[in-house]
Amino acid sequence: MASRLTLALPKGRVLTDSLAALRRAGLRLELSDDARALRHDAGDADVIVVRNADVPTYVELGVADAGVVGKDVLLEAACRVYEPVDLGFAACRLALIRPEGARQPIRRVASKYPRLTARYLAGRGSTAEVVKLTGNVELACLTGLADAVVDIVETGGTLRANRLEEVDLILASSARFVVNRAALKLRAEELKPLIAALRLGAEAG
Amino acid sequence: MAALPDGTRHVLPPDASARHELVERLRRLYRAWGYQGIEVPALERYDQNHPRNDQSFKLSDRDSGVLALRSDFTPALAQLVRGHYPQAAAGRRALRLQYCGTVWHAIDPDVARTREFTQVGLELVGVSNARADAELIHLARESVREVGLVPRVELGNPGFVRALFDLAEVPAAARGPLADAIDRKDLRTLQSLVERLALRPAVREALLAVPDLYGQLGVLDEARRVTPWDATLRELDRLEAIVSEFEDASELLLDLGMARRLAYYTGVTFRAYTFDFGQPLLGGGRYDGALLPAAAGFTIGIERLAAALPAPTPAPSPPVLALDDVGARRLRAAGVAVVRSLSSDLETARDEAREQGARYLLGERLEPLVADATDDGSDEGALRRLLEGDRGE
Repeated sequence: MASRLTLALPKGRVLTDSLAALRRAGLRLELSDDARALRHDAGDADVIVVRNADVPTYVELGVADAGVVGKDVLLEAACRVYEPVDLGFAACRLALIRPEGARQPIRRVASKYPRLTARYLAGRGSTAEVVKLTGNVELACLTGLADAVVDIVETGGTLRANRLEEVDLILASSARFVVNRAALKLRAEELKPLIAALRLGAEAG
Repeated sequence: MAALPDGTRHVLPPDASARHELVERLRRLYRAWGYQGIEVPALERYDQNHPRNDQSFKLSDRDSGVLALRSDFTPALAQLVRGHYPQAAAGRRALRLQYCGTVWHAIDPDVARTREFTQVGLELVGVSNARADAELIHLARESVREVGLVPRVELGNPGFVRALFDLAEVPAAARGPLADAIDRKDLRTLQSLVERLALRPAVREALLAVPDLYGQLGVLDEARRVTPWDATLRELDRLEAIVSEFEDASELLLDLGMARRLAYYTGVTFRAYTFDFGQPLLGGGRYDGALLPAAAGFTIGIERLAAALPAPTPAPSPPVLALDDVGARRLRAAGVAVVRSLSSDLETARDEAREQGARYLLGERLEPLVADATDDGSDEGALRRLLEGDRGE
């Protein structure tokens, strides 16, 4: 019963920021240097490093007690987890993007976020078709695969370089600390103070 | 072989018998508390007002009427109660019913791994008070214990969140998103939603505190401090009254931020958890007025419950394969499983017995097939005594 917490953290830059936030909140976490390691006995918790989009699944099913994932991914996954802390980092915008000056009606939209895109389009009364892609979504606009794309914008550099522009903001996203629904209740004595400390850290940071 | 429809699967013997046993244990527990079994059709008339109307598989009837596969037992039971138990339906008499069967949910198979579920559940109809609620919560807890797991049952009361919304005069359109943010404990979204409402500071603070009002029973006192208004205190008293029915409340938890299906549940709601399993094992609550004037119940998903238990080991093969029907009948009468040989030839039957994993072949005499057939010492002797005991009569 009193096993250690298991945390699911996404690969890449968010991993570094997540570890820093968790350490500031009082967890001792050391990942091994082995870049191939997927599962780390990291001191105060076991850490599993997974793909961003898989974090909600690991946490919802309770394989991990908690994790860190972007609000964008969380909404797309439509999963039942708690999301008690906005960690503030990995801030980005989910936006509708078109070639500069495009004015023709939107008939097809490409995105890595088909569910959010469909919901956004439905909310605007659009009947456009949604195409799911897994990478370099902007290319869909440039090649004529789609009239518009829905994708993440951080600085806007890629858009300008490819003569694309943001025409609508769909969602402002940032990293969330998510918690399995059963774990929050059954491990409240560990997780409640951790959540409080993460919130303090996020406000200060 | 044609593929099965998405979200359905075959269940093979070790899992199937483990599931049957789970169901039987639960049903026996409920019978011991006076809950009578009933059956309701799996085929229903499609009804737009059904609480799971958006999740039902629809079929067309021959006369072009629209039917739906059962997606939830509760409305089906309510219909049965209204039709056959007018006293209970009018809230004048208590009625205890239990059910077991399949429901189907037409959800996106990408999201849901399963769309066909076996459910066991209870309804206590006709009475609405703390004793009735406590009985159901107790049985929820005992259900988890009955299958060998350590229970924690978490209580909530959507009436508390509703009372806060009323105090805050939250407009109807804003209630859904606000309840959703509370239910997800999404403080960031809750903050931004609350900022748009013009609220007294105390009410705003209370709304922002709700997601964190969970944990041991002491949470009730904390909630009283944060929401010191008659309407909210009344809802907290309702929970307190239920908790005080328990001699030992150590396995109960509270979450005052449970805000799902706000329009459906009118009183206590509850979920049961067990350690090291990430999903609730059962859920239920009181829904007075939604379908019947007074009714509460809970549902257990057998697939979920089986997943929380260790994988079942394959059942041992029946120990005896028999050519001799008379001897076989004697053994079966004594509770020994005996497979009947499909061949009348002793040599073929011997192969058949080995293929079936039987340890004895019963022809004119009992023949052990494996060297250590008497591994528990008394096996063979016991079988012989059963066979001979009868012959002596």
